[in-house]
Amino acid sequence: MKVRLLVLGESPPGLAESVARSLPWPFTGGSVESGGALVEHCYDRHRAQVDASRLVTLLEPPPPGWTALGVTGHDLFMPPLAYVFGVSELAGRRGVVSWARLRPEVEEPLPSPHLLQRLTVEAVHELGHTVGLIHCVVPDCAMHRSLFAEAVDLKLPEYCPACTDMLRASLGG
Amino acid sequence: MTHSVRILVVDDEQHVRSSLAAWFREDGYDVTVAGSGREALQALARDGADILLVDIKMPGMDGLELQRKARELAPDATVIIMTAYASVETAVEALKDGAYDYVVKPFDPEAVSRLVRKAAERYTLMRENRALRERLESAAPVMITAGTGAMGEVLELVEQVAPTDTSVLITGESGTGKEQLARLIHTKSNRRFGAFAVVNCGALAEGVLESELFGHERGAFTGAVARHRGKIELANEGTLFLDEIGDVPAKVQVDLLRVLQERIVTRVGGNTPVQVDFRLVTATHRDLEAEVTAERFRDDFYFRINVFRIQLPPLRERPDDVPLLAQHFLAHYARQMNRRIDGFSEDALGALCAYPWPGNVRELQNAIERAVVVCRGSQIEAGHFPFAAGPREEDLTLERVEESHVRRMLAASGFNVTRAARLLGIDRVTLYNKMKKYGITKP
Repeated sequence: MKVRLLVLGESPPGLAESVARSLPWPFTGGSVESGGALVEHCYDRHRAQVDASRLVTLLEPPPPGWTALGVTGHDLFMPPLAYVFGVSELAGRRGVVSWARLRPEVEEPLPSPHLLQRLTVEAVHELGHTVGLIHCVVPDCAMHRSLFAEAVDLKLPEYCPACTDMLRASLGG
Repeated sequence: MTHSVRILVVDDEQHVRSSLAAWFREDGYDVTVAGSGREALQALARDGADILLVDIKMPGMDGLELQRKARELAPDATVIIMTAYASVETAVEALKDGAYDYVVKPFDPEAVSRLVRKAAERYTLMRENRALRERLESAAPVMITAGTGAMGEVLELVEQVAPTDTSVLITGESGTGKEQLARLIHTKSNRRFGAFAVVNCGALAEGVLESELFGHERGAFTGAVARHRGKIELANEGTLFLDEIGDVPAKVQVDLLRVLQERIVTRVGGNTPVQVDFRLVTATHRDLEAEVTAERFRDDFYFRINVFRIQLPPLRERPDDVPLLAQHFLAHYARQMNRRIDGFSEDALGALCAYPWPGNVRELQNAIERAVVVCRGSQIEAGHFPFAAGPREEDLTLERVEESHVRRMLAASGFNVTRAARLLGIDRVTLYNKMKKYGITKP
């Protein structure tokens, strides 16, 4: 499964490329592209946040064998939820992930290794949803639900054996 | 995460519904949505729900009214109210009216996830609790038998067939304990942790029997206000016991035969096939072979259910079991009625063993229950049984009448001689003399 990573808005140089290089099986190969001004269509000035579900629907549906993931530094919300790290269409091969709430408390120059690790984990998480995986009870599996940034640190940027089996079954590999 | 917990999200704002549905689906919940109170009630009647996330402010029926109406359709469902800061007071009103909790929009994802997880755990615990209670209630009281003669053979057959998935046909006179035997087979089987679903086919009209067996969809017939799962579905992974199978109408026999062959059931008025996995045990007091010959019972259905047959002997052919069963029922009813009754007098036991019990175990059970009700002493006497009332009083000698009356008063006073003497209108010495004369001793 190839991944089209779309950079939505401003991004530290090399961040998306580093994420792309760290993705586990079955996400091998693909491209890193600019997503243009898509976020501007979903920006809520009153909240100073981007409507995540709307943003996902604006991503161009990927061709067969591909999945698309928007990567952004804008803070995402999904009414009525005050914020989300990312959103995907379950098995719909479109998703978006934000690093706005993943930045470590101690400021480091971007992209810091810590932020890169968190963003990669959440990218792997959202990509899992795009191909049909739901949340997993295994604490260090990327598909475990994280509700705050520190919880992301407990996870690895890979799938547990059970989720891998499910992926294998659903992708026929 | 896989849950079988069903969430119904009710909000008039489409993006709220779709966002929450997506959010909870990622957790593996089964989510449906409704845009109004009316739609929510329709969805509840159609699909049911375990957790309701209800927006308190909706045009038309508001969240409070919906909560009250939903309770009639899904009394066990947990209601979580969604509210804006401005309507927190109304949310508190909802809590007083039975809502589980409320969340204020916009939600903190952590808070709403934790709340729904807690509600789901509560629901799962309630469901497990109910299942355990039902299982306890339906747990097989062991067959009370001395295990001699014909009953010994029956128990041996049960041991052989119980661990298999073979269909069992239990035959025997009414009241011999066919359902008890079916429960025994279930509890000794590998399906003992599944449900034991019972349908008395002889007690139901054809339409009701179909609905009871196969279930029905909402609107399948007048009065079908909600989807109903039939006993066949409920028996999934367990045992389906069809009592009085000889009374099943021909049309239902055909439908049952199809279910037995394909292991698929379709609810009345529906077209969605549901896979079922159950073990079938049937029972009848009828001579099914004669019914087949008379063409009142389908032969193909008969062959399907009569794979392993167990014939339960009538109680008159198992005299060793009568005292054991009598003692079992006595303990049961004495405890139930909070009576201190120690056992049976020799006469009472003799009467029990001499009686032919045409109504079998059920008649014995009823006789003991009645005896416990009328017994005023610490022992059941023969006179407490209607069948052992003995000769009419006008045929008795004065001595026999006196002895019987003295015994009755002693029993009624709990063998307190002073009190019995007062009841009889004689002094204690006279009573002692009469007890000596009639050989009455304190039990």
